[in-house]
Amino acid sequence: MSIAAETAPRGQPRRGRRIDGWRWGGRIFLVFMLLYTALPMVWMLSTSIKSGFAAMQFPPQLWPDQPTLAAYQKLLDPQNSVGQDFLRFFWNSLIVSTATTVLSVIVAVPAAYAFSRFRFPGRNFLFFAVLLRNMFPAVIFLVPLFILMRAIGLVNTHGSLVLTYLTFGLPLAIWLLKGFYDNIPVQLEQAARIDGATRFQAFVLIVMPLSTPGIIATAIYSFIGAWNEYIYAYTFLSKNEQLTLPVGIQRFFSENTTDFPGLMAASFMMSVPVVVLFLLLQRYFVRALTEGAVKH
Amino acid sequence: MAHVVLKDLVKTYGSFKAVNEVSLTVNDGEFVALVGPSGCGKTTTLNLVAGLTSVTSGDIFIGDQVVNDLDPKDRDIAMVFQNYALYPQKSVYMNLAFPLQMRKLRKDEIDRKVKDAARVLDMTHLLERKPRELSGGQQQRVALGRALVRDPAVFLMDEPLSNLDAKLRVQMRSEIKRFHQDLKATIIYVTHDQLEAVTMADKMAVMNGGYLQQYDTPAQVFAHPVNMFVASFVGSPAMSLIPLEASTANGNTVLTSAEGWSLALSPRNMRKVESASTRKIVLGARHSTIKLHKSAVPGSVPAKAYTVEPTGDVTFVQAFLSGAIVNISVSPDVAVKPDEQIWLEFDQERVHLFDSETEMALKAE
Amino acid sequence: MTIVTGNEARRRAQPAGSSVPRKIWEHRADYAYVLPAIAVMLIVIAYPIYYTIELSFFNTPPGLQLRDKIFVGFNNYTAILTSDVFWQVTFNTLIWTIGSTLISFVLGFAAALALHRDFIGRGILRAILIIPWVISAVAASYIWKWIYHSDFGIIGAVLVELGLTSRPPNFIDNVSTVLPSLIVVNIWREFPFAMIMMMAGLQTVPEQLLRAAKVDGANAWQRFWHVTFPHLRNVSTVTILLLAVANFNSFIIPWIMTGGGPSNASHIWITHIYELAFGRQRWGVASAYSVLLFLILMTLGYFYVRALSGNERKEGNA
Repeated sequence: MSIAAETAPRGQPRRGRRIDGWRWGGRIFLVFMLLYTALPMVWMLSTSIKSGFAAMQFPPQLWPDQPTLAAYQKLLDPQNSVGQDFLRFFWNSLIVSTATTVLSVIVAVPAAYAFSRFRFPGRNFLFFAVLLRNMFPAVIFLVPLFILMRAIGLVNTHGSLVLTYLTFGLPLAIWLLKGFYDNIPVQLEQAARIDGATRFQAFVLIVMPLSTPGIIATAIYSFIGAWNEYIYAYTFLSKNEQLTLPVGIQRFFSENTTDFPGLMAASFMMSVPVVVLFLLLQRYFVRALTEGAVKH
Repeated sequence: MAHVVLKDLVKTYGSFKAVNEVSLTVNDGEFVALVGPSGCGKTTTLNLVAGLTSVTSGDIFIGDQVVNDLDPKDRDIAMVFQNYALYPQKSVYMNLAFPLQMRKLRKDEIDRKVKDAARVLDMTHLLERKPRELSGGQQQRVALGRALVRDPAVFLMDEPLSNLDAKLRVQMRSEIKRFHQDLKATIIYVTHDQLEAVTMADKMAVMNGGYLQQYDTPAQVFAHPVNMFVASFVGSPAMSLIPLEASTANGNTVLTSAEGWSLALSPRNMRKVESASTRKIVLGARHSTIKLHKSAVPGSVPAKAYTVEPTGDVTFVQAFLSGAIVNISVSPDVAVKPDEQIWLEFDQERVHLFDSETEMALKAE
Repeated sequence: MTIVTGNEARRRAQPAGSSVPRKIWEHRADYAYVLPAIAVMLIVIAYPIYYTIELSFFNTPPGLQLRDKIFVGFNNYTAILTSDVFWQVTFNTLIWTIGSTLISFVLGFAAALALHRDFIGRGILRAILIIPWVISAVAASYIWKWIYHSDFGIIGAVLVELGLTSRPPNFIDNVSTVLPSLIVVNIWREFPFAMIMMMAGLQTVPEQLLRAAKVDGANAWQRFWHVTFPHLRNVSTVTILLLAVANFNSFIIPWIMTGGGPSNASHIWITHIYELAFGRQRWGVASAYSVLLFLILMTLGYFYVRALSGNERKEGNA
C-alpha cells in the first residue's frame, strides 16, 4: 500500500487509477483501525463523565446530556475512603514502577554493552538464556517465587514486585540496547581511550550519550511493564495499603460491581501516566526498535 | 617525539597467530608505513602499539619505556582512524578539546590549543559544526586535528585515507606528508595501498600472514624485494612473475620456458641461478624494465599481446608469456593490437630472480 | 581496515588452543558487566524452574502444608492427559494463540504499510493507534467488559438500534461467542506492537531496491511481494514469535473478563493453571501443567532463538 502510494507517478493518469486503488484501500483501512482503536477509549471517557444513573440507561447515551466529574472527584478526594485508597494505589504503582525502571537501566546497560563488545566464553549461551526468560509465563513462576519471597521475607513488600518485574523487562531491554551498541563503532571508544579516557570514561562520556534513545526506550518499556503488571501484584500483596493500581482497582470494583462511571474514571486515570509518557517519548522507542532490534 | 621499538612481538587469538615475532625500530621523527593485504596483521600490530589489544609476548617500547601493560591513555600516543571516529554528539571544537579535557588542562589553555590546531588545519570556520555536517575531507582533517592538538610522542594512523574519494586522497596524502615534515613527528601509518606507503613513508614495513616480510626505505623495497610476495605487492602495475626452468647449454646457464624458448643471462644473474637449490626459477620484471619489440631481436623472447590499455602518457600492454601474464609499459605511439605476436626483451640489470620453492630472492653469492 | 572488528571477532571465534578455564579467567572482568543481570535471572528463573519440576511429581491435598507433599510419580501427568478439561483448554489455547497472533500481525503490518507514506496527521494517527498497547490490560478488560455488557453495552445497543437483534446479545456469557469476543479485545491491545515492529522494519527497506524493481517493471503488489516482504522476513518472524509467546502466556484479559467461564469456554492454559494452583490448591497438578507448558514453550523458544540468532549471524558478517 505504502509503496504503491509513495511511488505513484504524478501526471500519469493511466497507471494512476490502479495505484489509487491501493491508496484508497489504505485510507479506508486506517479509518477502520482508527475507529477500532479509538471508540473503546471514547466510550470509556464518555462513561466516566456520566452519573451512575445515566450510565445505566437503555439505549445508552453516546455522550451524556449532563456530563459530571463526580466520578473523578470521588477518586481524587483524599477525604473519603475511596479517594484515599485510589491515591495510595496510585502512589504505590508510581514507587514500584520507578524503582523497577531505575534498576532495569542500571542492570541492563552494562549487560547489553558486554554482550555487544566482549567475546567471553559462554557469551552466546548467557545471552540467549536471558532472552529465553521471555518465553515463560508469569504463572509458572508464581508458586515457587511466592515461596521464595516468603523465605527471604519479601512477601507483602514492594521489593518482591520490583525484583520480579526486573526480570520481565530485562530481556527485551538487553536485546534492544545490545543492538544499539552493536551499531556504535568500536573505534569511537578506542579513540576516546587513546585520547586519555579510561575504559569506563569512554563508556560514560562517549557511548552512553549515543545510546540515550535506547536507554530511554528501555526505561519506558520497564516503566509501562511494571505499571501495568497484575498477576504478581495480585498474588504477592495482600495488605490493602500496599496494592498497586491494577490490583487495587480490581479489588475495589469487585465489591462495587455497578459503579461503571467510577470504574471507567479509574481506568482512565490509571492509563494517563503511561500513555502520556509513551506519547512524549515514542519517537525514541521507534528509533530504538529500528536501530536496536530490527536493523542488523 | 619519541622512537618506537617492537621486539619479537606476538599476538595470538586462540590458535590463530595474528602477529608473528615482529621486530622493528621506528626512529624519532620517522614516518613508517605498515603495509600489506587485508588480514596481514598490520592493524593488529598498530592496535598493539596503541594498547587497544593486549600483547601475547614480546615488548613494545615507546621512548625508552616498555609500554606493554600501560593503558592507551598513558602511552602518549594519538591515533587517526579509518572511519575518523569523530564523536558524533560533539561539535568539532569539543572533538578537538576532548583529549585535552581528559588530561585536565586549564580551560584557556584548551581553548588556545584547539584554536591553534584549527588554524593550522584551516578549519576555524568549522569549529561549531557537528561531524555529520562535514564532508569526508573535512572530517578527516578534524580527525587529524584531534591527534595533533595533543602533541603526542607518536602518531598512529589506521588507513586514514581509504574512505576518501580518489582525488581527495591524493590531496590529503600530500597534506599528511607536509604535516610530518613540519612537525618532525614520529608516525606509524597503516595502509593496504602500497602507493600511499611508497609516496609518503620514510620506511615501509611490508607484512603478510602476520609476518614482517621486509622493512626498508620504499626505494630499497622497490628495487630489492626480498621475496616474491614483496615483489608482487609493491609497485603498480604489479611486477610480472614468470615461472621458468634453469638449464645448462654450452656451459652457460639459461632459463628455459615450457614454450620452447630460452633466455640467456648476464654473468651475475647466472651466478644467482646457480646458487639456487632448485632448478625452478621465477623471473620477475617490472613493466618499465621490459622492452617490447614488434619483431625478433637478439635476446628477446616471443609473447602474445592480450590487452592494450592506453592511459594517455603511457600505454600498458598485457601479454602472455610462458603461461604467465606480463605487464609492459610502452610509449603511446607504439601501436600494438590484442593477439599480436610481440617480442620482449628483459633488462638484465633490473630483473629479479626467485627460488620458486622458498619464494626468496636469489643472491649472487 | 574496516575489517578490524570483523576480523578480530572471527579470530576470536575460532576454537581456542588454550583451556576454557584459562579463557574464562582472562575474561573475568567482562563477566562483571553481565553479573547483575545473570544474578537476577538466576534467582527469579532457575530456582522456580527447579521447584516447579519437583512439585509436579507430588500430590498436595488442600489444607495440607506444602512441605508435607506426597510423592505420586507421574500420576499428575497421566491425570492431566486423560482429563476432558485438558483437551478443551488446549483447544481454546490454540484458537486464542493462533487467532490473536495472526490477526494482530496482519492488522499491525497493514497499518504499518498504510502509515509508511507521509500524510497530514500521520503522527497523530500513529500515536492514537499505539495507545491501546500502552494501556494496562486490566483497564482494557474493564473497558471492553463494559462495552460487551449484556444490558447496557454499547455494541448491543447499536445492534438493537440497527434492528439486527431484538435484545442485546450476551457476548461474554455465551459459550460460543466468548472466545472470539475476548480475542477481539486481545487484538485491540496487541496489533500496535506488530505495527511498531513492522514500522521499524519498513524503515530499513532500501529505497534503491524498490526503485530498481520499479525500473524492472514490477507493479505495486510485485514490489511489495518481491522486495519489501522478503526484506522483512526476519522482523516478521521475531514479531510473530513474540506475539505468539505473549498470547500463549496471556492471563489478565480472560481472567478479569470471564474468569475462564462460562463452563470453561474461555479457559486457556494459564488461567487454568492459576485456578488449579491458587483456586483449588492443587499445586502438584498445576506444576505438572507448567512443566508441559515448558516443553511446548521450549519448542517455540527454539525457533525464537533461531530467528534471533539469524539476526546475530547476519550482523556478524556485516
